[in-house]
Amino acid sequence: MKILAVCQSGLGSSFMVQMNVQQILKDENVDVDANDITVDHSDVGSATADSADYFFVESTLADALGSIPKDRIVLLKSLIDKKETAEHVNYVLDNENIAHD
Amino acid sequence: MLNDLLNQETVQLTDATDLSWEAAIRLAAQPLVANGSVTEQYVNSMIDVVNNQGPYINIGDHIALAHTRPENGSNRISLALLKTNHDIALVNQDHPITLWFVLSAVDSDSHLEVIKQLMTLLTNEATVKQLMAASSAEDLLTIIHSRNE
Repeated sequence: MKILAVCQSGLGSSFMVQMNVQQILKDENVDVDANDITVDHSDVGSATADSADYFFVESTLADALGSIPKDRIVLLKSLIDKKETAEHVNYVLDNENIAHD
Repeated sequence: MLNDLLNQETVQLTDATDLSWEAAIRLAAQPLVANGSVTEQYVNSMIDVVNNQGPYINIGDHIALAHTRPENGSNRISLALLKTNHDIALVNQDHPITLWFVLSAVDSDSHLEVIKQLMTLLTNEATVKQLMAASSAEDLLTIIHSRNE
């Protein structure tokens, strides 16, 4: 399962989200290797439906991901609110039947 | 690294009430233009990006991280911070901003350590509260430097 954090330039904010998601997976004691979970970041222009299973993006950029199915896009109001990101990560984990705390 | 980039030169605070969001980004970036980290073109590009893509640089409650691609006039990795004592609406009233960070990078990877340290700072709610309440540039620096090594 691959999570891709996406932002307009692929430079700053997407990497922030990637770091948060990775930290949350750790906090939730998710076995990343056994479940083959990868987390990466990219700019919005390079992201295609094949790039990942789930796309985390700041909510005002939602329209830029038009070609990607809505049920695979996670919209974030804040990129630095760990609680908000954690709720979304847990939703994805439950959706994929991956064990977590 | 954050401690080197955010210093007496690059951290500012203003009481201005009449700044537009464009003017706030220009003011925040001014020290980086002055020391040659970025060009005027870079500043214009940061503003264009928001005009074209919307207020996505509003990365957290009352916090903006203005930046654009390195090829638009960035000479080195740099970071600046402006605190506006009065909130300024970024594009619209749904995005009030108090802390304006400006970031420049030279490629896609070498600035990631800065982002990491900035995230450590900004995901700490107590630190952010202190920054929002700071009444001088010196206060801002003291808070940043005491939190971050």
